[in-house]
Amino acid sequence: MLRLQNIDTFYGPAQVHFGINLYVNPGEIVCLLGGNASGKSTTMKVILGLVKPKAGHVFFNDSEITGLPTHQIIKRGVGSVPEARRIFPGMTVQENILMGAYSRSDHKNVAEDFERVLSFFPRLRERLNQKGGTLSGGEQQMLAMARALMVRPKLICMDEPTMGLSPLWVDRVLELIHTINKSEGITIFMVEQSANQALQIAHRGYVIQNGHIVIEGTASDLLNSPRIQEAYLGATI
Amino acid sequence: MNIFFDQTINGLVIGNIYALMAVGLALIFGTANLINFAHGSVYMAGAYVGWTCVTYFGFPLFLTFLVVMLFCALLGMLIERVGLRPLQNSARIAPLLATIGISFILDQLAQIIFSPQPLALPPLISTKRFSLGATSIGVLDILIASVSLISGALLYVFLRYTRMGWAIRATAQDRDAAQQMGVDVNRVNQVTFAIASALGGLSGMLVAMYFNVLTPTMGFQAGLKGFAAGLIGGLGNVPGAIIGSLLLGLIESYGVALLGSSYRNLFAFVILLVVLVLKPNGIFSKGRQLPPEPMTGTFIASSKPVQIPRSVLIGVSVLAFLLPIISNNYWLSVFTTALLYGILALSLTLVAGTAGLMSIGHAGLLAIGGYTSALLSLRLGLPFALALLLAACVTAILGMLLVMPAFRLRGHYVSIATIGIGEIVSLTILNWESLTGGPVGLMNIPPPSLFGFEFYSNRSLYWLSLVLLLGLALLQWQLVRSHIGRTLRAIREDEVAAQAYGINLNRYKGIAFAASGFIAGIAGVILTHSYTYINNETFNNTISVLALTMVILGGRGNIIGSILGAGLLIVIPELLRDVLGESFIVYRMLLYGLLLVLFVRWRPQGLLGTV
Ligand SMILES: Nc1ncnc2c1ncn2[C@@H]1O[C@H](COP(=O)(O)OP(=O)(O)O)[C@@H](O)[C@H]1O
Ligand SMILES: [Mg+2]
Repeated sequence: MLRLQNIDTFYGPAQVHFGINLYVNPGEIVCLLGGNASGKSTTMKVILGLVKPKAGHVFFNDSEITGLPTHQIIKRGVGSVPEARRIFPGMTVQENILMGAYSRSDHKNVAEDFERVLSFFPRLRERLNQKGGTLSGGEQQMLAMARALMVRPKLICMDEPTMGLSPLWVDRVLELIHTINKSEGITIFMVEQSANQALQIAHRGYVIQNGHIVIEGTASDLLNSPRIQEAYLGATI
Repeated sequence: MNIFFDQTINGLVIGNIYALMAVGLALIFGTANLINFAHGSVYMAGAYVGWTCVTYFGFPLFLTFLVVMLFCALLGMLIERVGLRPLQNSARIAPLLATIGISFILDQLAQIIFSPQPLALPPLISTKRFSLGATSIGVLDILIASVSLISGALLYVFLRYTRMGWAIRATAQDRDAAQQMGVDVNRVNQVTFAIASALGGLSGMLVAMYFNVLTPTMGFQAGLKGFAAGLIGGLGNVPGAIIGSLLLGLIESYGVALLGSSYRNLFAFVILLVVLVLKPNGIFSKGRQLPPEPMTGTFIASSKPVQIPRSVLIGVSVLAFLLPIISNNYWLSVFTTALLYGILALSLTLVAGTAGLMSIGHAGLLAIGGYTSALLSLRLGLPFALALLLAACVTAILGMLLVMPAFRLRGHYVSIATIGIGEIVSLTILNWESLTGGPVGLMNIPPPSLFGFEFYSNRSLYWLSLVLLLGLALLQWQLVRSHIGRTLRAIREDEVAAQAYGINLNRYKGIAFAASGFIAGIAGVILTHSYTYINNETFNNTISVLALTMVILGGRGNIIGSILGAGLLIVIPELLRDVLGESFIVYRMLLYGLLLVLFVRWRPQGLLGTV
């Protein structure tokens, strides 16, 4: 469904990615793990067309999307839950969710989807007319996910969906990601720093370090690998 | 009491016009994070297009409004395409500089097409007035109020209920997130520029009708005023811009009634500065926290400055000394001008380049220096050398004190504040007639002299300028390679980090502006004494932009570059005039604007590279 091939990315003279290769199969939850500044968010940005790689190719559903403008990539069915959530603070919860449907052309189904998305997030229903900026961190995360679902995506890219949340909310959010993947059949590619929890719900994972993919494997392999614990010790201190 | 009501009506009507302008600036600031300096020129263009429709084609008013809006919408889209879109990945100051260049180009085009002389509109609507108790209201007042109310309502509906309106609001709140919802932000910017410019053009046409006068330079101050109005209500905030505009209109009207119409613009610029310094988030906000900084980050494109061997520099200097032997008087005076502008560019490159504070009010410093020494010579009969020294010191001190309140500002806000300060200096000169002679100015200023020798001939003036330029350049060279220069560059690269190292930011910015003021003051003195005449228009904002162009052309912070920039921008137009004939001279300013835009786009590090 998604494939990155030999991606090299630069910010000015600084190289961030060194030949990144990864793929995501339909229906999977795939986790990209790595410490701070290892190039995770940049990977997301490359997929979403926010940053253009200097070399390499990105394929989505077998067609190349490298270098396409972001709005065209979204229109092909890619939802995004950005790092730090980035909801629209001055728009109401309802407006935020409907903004998610911006790229769609099937306007008549939007109302129906709106109801369905809300069924995943009952808390949001109670706050539909509240401004997005007034929500708590966990609620904002839900809003960001609801917004991404309104794209009717085939793939959702999530950048650190559990960042800055309390342990209770972390569980809740991961649970929801699991549900969305299961019941809606939406493929999920997510970036995380807290490996152990994310790998509980993931099928496969990659570990990125200083712009190189250093480990890849199934979630259970990674969970049991001594190397990953080691990598994480190095990364989080 | 009647006067009070009359002025209230006037103030509200003018406020309505400003609102049309300020709302557009707010929209653009919201979606594109850009203070669009070309907005004032769009407003001017609106007025001239309207004038053309009415006088040439005899269009009825309604059709005229439509044509004005359509034309300006297209113009706005063009500005977005040229001044913003290609620069999205450049240094963040780049689009600001580009819009300054575009504004320059548009103003010059208007001068070329319509002549610099003011134009008037034929009577377009009835001058009937309706009595309203203690006051009365004219048909034009009602028209202006309804036009802005209708525009406001349409804009509200558009932003609230259309797909594009949603996209604009989302982009204004979080551009990246909007992109990830599938919003094409380039398209959003384009539409925003179109709407904003249509409103801006309409505003210009209404102003032209209200005051019944059009000038090609009417946009500069108007744009700054629209910005002031927006700032009062909080930048990027549409309702805030409307409230700010009405407040500004009222303050202006009451102020003009009290002090006279030549003070009109002074209120706006003083308010601009006060709000910028005390309440940069608008008067309704709490606290003094700066609004999200639109233009920090990599300020100067990193580049390797071109190294010029010392022998070449010495050789060129020697040749420059010998030049008067072969040059005729005409070219000698051209070269003298180039040298004096070189001093000005030197001064600007210190703050705009080395310190990274993009000052756009530098002509104000020339004026301070020029007036001070002219007054010292004329009124107190001081010898020139003493007047020069004192004037340079006064310029240093005043230049520093005036900008000091703005030291906590960064990026765009520095530029806005310095433009405001420049305008305040020029308006103070205009209004302080007992000292400055107001618009009449000062005459019979003695030529530069030293120990009884008068620098009257072109040759002597040339040599004097050359000596001063070389001396000041050497001094500045010492300064920028001392620890002061290093500290200034550190502040430019990362103000927060510099502060964390215990650097006193205000002290170093003060030093930069004082040194810059000293140097600019000298340029102002020599220019004034060689003209033997000065008034409030001698050093106007065109000169500020010209100086900025010189600095960009040479490479920001690059001492030799600034001198080269000045030399090229003064000499090339004269060469072209030789080749293309006298008529070329009207295109000179156009060339400057074009160069600014081209360099920002294609060679932001300038000819010799930034330092
Ligand atoms: N816009 C940018 N400009 C320059 N450098 C950047 C930019 N964004 C990120 N970087 C740098 O790229 C590297 C990788 O960043 P990122 O992908 O955000 O890491 P992660 O998400 O893994 O923490 C970091 O060193 C970061 O400083
Ligand atoms: Mg990240």
